[in-house]
Amino acid sequence: MVERVLLLCLLLIGFWGVVAKKNIIKKIFGLNILNAAAVMLFILEGNRIGTEAPILESGLAQVVDPIPQALMLTAIVIGVCVTALALALAVHLYQITGSFDIDTIRERVKDEA
Amino acid sequence: MRPEDIVFATVMLPLLGASLAFCAKILPKGRIAGVVEYAGALVGLGLPPLVLILLFPVVFSGQSVSGVVGQWFVGVGITFRFDALAWLVNMLGYTIGAAAWVYSLGAGPKGPAFTGVFLIQTAALSATIMTTDLFNLFVCLEIMGITSYVLIPTSRKPGATLASFSYLMVSASAMVFFLLGTYGFYRLTGALSYEGISSGLQAISSSDTMLSIVSLALLVSAIAIRVAVMPLYGWLPDAHALAPHAVSAVLSGVLIKTPLFALSRILYLFPFGMEVGELMGIAGGLTAIVGVVIALSQEDAKRLLAYHSISQIGYVVAAWGMAISLGVDTPAGTSLMVAAFLHAFYHALFKGLLFLSVGTTVDMAKERNVYVLRDGIGKLRDAGEKIPVTFIGFVVGALAISAIPPLNGFVSKTAITYAMKGSLSYYLLSMAAVGTVASFIKLSRIYWPTRKRGSLHLETGVSLGTGSNPQSKAHGLVARLTAQSALAVLCIAGGLAAPHILTIVGTLLSRGGTNSAVPPTLYSTDNLLKTGATTLGGILLFFIATSKIGSRVLHTIRNRPRSFQGLFVSFSLGTAFLVAFLVVGKFL
Repeated sequence: MVERVLLLCLLLIGFWGVVAKKNIIKKIFGLNILNAAAVMLFILEGNRIGTEAPILESGLAQVVDPIPQALMLTAIVIGVCVTALALALAVHLYQITGSFDIDTIRERVKDEA
Repeated sequence: MRPEDIVFATVMLPLLGASLAFCAKILPKGRIAGVVEYAGALVGLGLPPLVLILLFPVVFSGQSVSGVVGQWFVGVGITFRFDALAWLVNMLGYTIGAAAWVYSLGAGPKGPAFTGVFLIQTAALSATIMTTDLFNLFVCLEIMGITSYVLIPTSRKPGATLASFSYLMVSASAMVFFLLGTYGFYRLTGALSYEGISSGLQAISSSDTMLSIVSLALLVSAIAIRVAVMPLYGWLPDAHALAPHAVSAVLSGVLIKTPLFALSRILYLFPFGMEVGELMGIAGGLTAIVGVVIALSQEDAKRLLAYHSISQIGYVVAAWGMAISLGVDTPAGTSLMVAAFLHAFYHALFKGLLFLSVGTTVDMAKERNVYVLRDGIGKLRDAGEKIPVTFIGFVVGALAISAIPPLNGFVSKTAITYAMKGSLSYYLLSMAAVGTVASFIKLSRIYWPTRKRGSLHLETGVSLGTGSNPQSKAHGLVARLTAQSALAVLCIAGGLAAPHILTIVGTLLSRGGTNSAVPPTLYSTDNLLKTGATTLGGILLFFIATSKIGSRVLHTIRNRPRSFQGLFVSFSLGTAFLVAFLVVGKFL
């Protein structure tokens, strides 16, 4: 139970980072924390039926559910892609406006248009 | 050839085309690279429609191709289903995709990298509508999202990068919640395929019902962000207005509808799907009217169109939601679903046409403000258009979206209102139609002639003289005009051949091979009177809107505060409201 509460905290911290932080790099950090919380929740779920790594060897009985692990590998890859793209956009925004602050960026972009 | 062997071609061919396009990128610039890139586009956008034609007899007879990807066992592999719904949405995607790509040859963004990403997006669209696996749906939606975050800033406008960033943040966060919804269903049932989950959900205890409600609400709101239904539309206007015109056409023609129809697969099967449909139907009606009011207040030509996409997707969602809440196997439900799809398809055609023609005009005039830009026809003539194809395209698109017979918009809007007569959404949609007419009168002012033609002529003449070499410009002109004329012809044909198309779509969407949809009476005196009244109302509203008080109200609406945080607040509130609605519906 305590793990789930901690994961909920992590999720909320990530969401708070995305929503409330002004700095867009910190927003991207927040997105990563949010993503990590979801990934760990799935891994925890797979843990309910066993604790051994799901690598097929003889004599292994108590393996974890392999499906969540396979899913989360994919989710992590997607998370990396999204992060890379978000950082690229952030750099581009910095080149245009000279700022990482979301409000400043919004104002300066409006002036340019 | 068995249908099982070729259904994946609709996903694989665009990916093959994309890899050819990326090969072209590493080749040295020149003739060979160009040939490879065009071959990639041909493979990716030209061949899949042929595959769809081959598959038509299968889906028309009411059959569907389903199975597990890669011959894995059921329960381990990814399940898919290629049926009439998938066929129709694929057709929509490839029609608009091909037209938009041809247009991009003329107006940019050009280059193998653009073609490659564009083709990956098309593949993702096709995969999204075919999949019946929750996690695979997550992957497909993410690929679709990532490609659009890449494509939006290719217009090289500063605002486009910011719009893309906001879209990325809100959509990627929502997808984490989608993942949590997937987790909830996996925990409850141990399955990921829709059918596995829905049969697992039959057996759960009532204490677990709450978890299934919350999970479903998370899935639905994450998808609703992509569909841009109220109140989750905040990211769309900037992204669609500032993207390159070809990308705008695809974004608002195809990209916001595919997730909606993919969601209907979930709602057919899952408990509480009907209730979700009911709520989304009402949200759709509200979206239609709010979207059109904000559209009327805009001064940027493309942003006006973007808000119209929200309004029109509201029509689609209203009909779609009501179809699901009635049950899609009932005749009334089927006719609503037919109307919803038809409007989605026709909207893609006329909105694509409008984005391309208005986009061309604002590019040539180098002015986007509806209140400033005038004499669009003259500007286009200066840019080398002997016959004002772009203007004709605009007229066709504007008449179609305002539902003037015999264009396609009249058919689909009449089909929607006919099927939902008497409900709350019916009145909302009728009011929205008046606003649509008014805002397109406003937009058409960019083509009104001015008195001071001479001086303007001189200016544009000079700026065009410094452009690129004349041959490539002529080449671009042909590409642009071809795309626009093709869409315009399809708009007119869609209106004229309406009875046949209604029968075909009706047969495809009735699951049994015979048409069980109630065909709407199109050209009854009632409908024509209603169209006339709507048009008159629209003209009246236009004059009210241009009066002193009207402009002040519109100014207030246009300058309402919009923030990054607002996107997340509306997402959280929307999800909470959906959960509350489902819980109250269950226990009362």
